[in-house]
Amino acid sequence: MSVKRLTRLAVLTALALALHVLEAQIPPLAPIPGIKPGFANIVTVWALVALGPLDAALILIARILLGSLFAGSVTALIYSLAGGTLCFIASLALRRFVSEKQLWALGAVGAIAHNAGQLAAASLILKSAAIWSYAPVLTVSAIVTGVFTGLIAQLVHARLKGKTSK
Amino acid sequence: MKTRVWIVIFAALIAVCLPLAFILGRLGGGHIANIYRDGKCICSIDLDSVTEGYSMTLDDGEGHINTIRIEPGSICVEDANCPDRVCVNTGRITGGSKPIICMPAKLVIRLESRPAEGFDAETGG
Repeated sequence: MSVKRLTRLAVLTALALALHVLEAQIPPLAPIPGIKPGFANIVTVWALVALGPLDAALILIARILLGSLFAGSVTALIYSLAGGTLCFIASLALRRFVSEKQLWALGAVGAIAHNAGQLAAASLILKSAAIWSYAPVLTVSAIVTGVFTGLIAQLVHARLKGKTSK
Repeated sequence: MKTRVWIVIFAALIAVCLPLAFILGRLGGGHIANIYRDGKCICSIDLDSVTEGYSMTLDDGEGHINTIRIEPGSICVEDANCPDRVCVNTGRITGGSKPIICMPAKLVIRLESRPAEGFDAETGG
């Protein structure tokens, strides 16, 4: 791994981690578990498009591991990992269906998948399917926040295009 | 894919999920509060038979303590010692399919039309 690539991954991981930790400090937006902006996904979406799947995955994994370390619980790690993995797989699968001007859609799809992953993990841990009744409201919130974070990634990508050498 | 296609997909999803979320918040529940820990019912309360509000402390033996408040026709978690306090923020539920959930304590409170199996739904089995 070149020094340049390593440095870039480190800086992006630090950025994603800062967003991840910052977001954890924001009080809940609504009295419904799981509704949050998902700022850290801005970094994942941008990295996926600008740097490729491998770099995006490395940043994502490092951010989740370090973020859960700060949160300080194993359950936080399980949720983050379940949500992050599903979000990444969905984003990667749909990557070729979205143009550079449709990254907002990638953000929304990723957010929906993230929630699905977390709901699945939660229902396994709780041994109860009751939590899935939150799926519709979480899907609506995921579309709103996902379009927002995806759009940020899209605007960043448009600005940085041509300036990021591989 | 065309941008229009994406817009239609997300608009359709919102059009389906928004009413569904509303419906789930209103319908499908009963007046029996079944409290589950780790997938097993630990307490079943008929909220219609409650005449005076009272509180109940649930301890999972691993340091998670939830204080449940039972009122005639409603139930809520009034205090919890977990950091996220999602269960407290969920507030009072009076019906509907949406449960109160405390992830750290693995606690699920559902309002159902009948007590969980093996419970007589008065003050707990």
